[in-house]
Amino acid sequence: MLHRLTLGLLLFTLLCAPAHAAEKYVAAADCYWPPMELMDANKQPTGYSPDYLKALAKAVGIEIEVRNVAWDGILGGVATGKYDIVASSVTITEERKKQFDFSDPYYEVVQAVLLPAGKKITSLKDLKGLKVGGQIATTGIFVVRNANVGADLKEYDDVGLAIEDLLQGRLDAVVCDDPVALYYVNKKTDTAGKLNISFKTQEKEYYGFVVKKGRKDLLEKLNKGIKILKESGVERQIAEKWMGSSK
Amino acid sequence: MEEKKDGSKANIVMVTDGASVPDPREWRIINAWSIALMGAIGLLCTLCVVWPDSYLRILLYLPDGILITFKITLLAICCAVPLGLITGLGRISRNRCINLLASTYVEIIRGIPLLVQIFYIYYALSRFIQVSGITSAVVAISFCYGAYMGEVFRAGISAINKGQTEAARSLGFNRFQTMRLVILPQAMRTILPPVGNECIAMLKDTSLVSIMAVPDMMQRARSFVGTTYLYFETYTMVALLYLIITLLLSKAVSIMESRLNYYDAK
Repeated sequence: MLHRLTLGLLLFTLLCAPAHAAEKYVAAADCYWPPMELMDANKQPTGYSPDYLKALAKAVGIEIEVRNVAWDGILGGVATGKYDIVASSVTITEERKKQFDFSDPYYEVVQAVLLPAGKKITSLKDLKGLKVGGQIATTGIFVVRNANVGADLKEYDDVGLAIEDLLQGRLDAVVCDDPVALYYVNKKTDTAGKLNISFKTQEKEYYGFVVKKGRKDLLEKLNKGIKILKESGVERQIAEKWMGSSK
Repeated sequence: MEEKKDGSKANIVMVTDGASVPDPREWRIINAWSIALMGAIGLLCTLCVVWPDSYLRILLYLPDGILITFKITLLAICCAVPLGLITGLGRISRNRCINLLASTYVEIIRGIPLLVQIFYIYYALSRFIQVSGITSAVVAISFCYGAYMGEVFRAGISAINKGQTEAARSLGFNRFQTMRLVILPQAMRTILPPVGNECIAMLKDTSLVSIMAVPDMMQRARSFVGTTYLYFETYTMVALLYLIITLLLSKAVSIMESRLNYYDAK
């Protein structure tokens, strides 16, 4: 009898233990969007968004595990509950807001048009008739499509493949978020010097963390964390780490 | 294998992941094929009528993608069938060199996934030669299916009784004439269903080309999902469309088969 009681108690404490530990959430990031999200040498997700999320988790006392998930369908996964958060440079748009809930903005970008070094455009209109690549279903693609300038849009699975085609000459331009464009122009050794950012859009876009519609509890935590990071200056440190001190 | 009247053994060659070609002798109204087709068309129409703002929108968004899918499939069939025939003939050739060449080609291609081949031709070989997405798609798919079809052609040709060759040769036909006028027309009957099957499998595999930013049906669907986030609706629609297309094609193959087997009937 005593044995059973002890065993029962042991089981009880074991079951209760996780409740006292920090709450654990799973986040998804598409790690082909450097320097915002990428894979490190140990095949672990890293970059601005994962770093930001980890700092945020620490600040509000929760645990977050970041997983690599393909961009195509990443938002679908959060809707079906495969993970709790999408931390993958998702721009807050009206269309997306109808389907998902967004945290407060945590980063600001514009769209940049990459051209081979030496080539220039002055507005989106100059893309008329050119082959323009981008990552499928990103705001870069939407901006060019909505500008309706008669560009031949090609949608790639990830932006790296589009850059590869730009270097090979099969594309005339690539459109993506400006930190990503800067990364390919300045940091990535095999593309640096071969590309230039010729044009940036005026309209600012804001990244937000995405959660399933109605996850108020999680949103509160995320927003609280973002506020703490902004005020404590940690946000600036992470930005400096990934984007350099210029930004 | 079934024993024919003339004593030859007709190999039934089924080596593909294509749709199952309906038996041409099956003339009942209700069979697996008609249930699937009617079900798919019925479901498609119902969905479009009941929820026009999602399903109908998707249906209207996809046609240019369907055209690209057809274009790639047709071009690939035009290249893959002759390639398969040449490979098949090479495989049974008595010339050691040609035989080895054809066999090696089949061995290599069959061992590499089509997706890897597409990546290889488009991204890896781009260092030496630049081709457009559609061209790489056609080349990759033709090479891949050429190897598969080579095996089908080889099996079909070997299934023809050796007596046929001997008879033709003794009548004074040379080897080329024997093959063209005597063996191949007979072999066609066994070859056609599996080749048709390969062509249908090919149509399904064109969905892989979206990785090269070729706007085929699958890519158009993904692009649509990317703006509307209607995952369930879009992929349901795409699945139904692929299903309807492959069912119609398999029926076409079945009709062709029954024409070729006209004298075999009964």
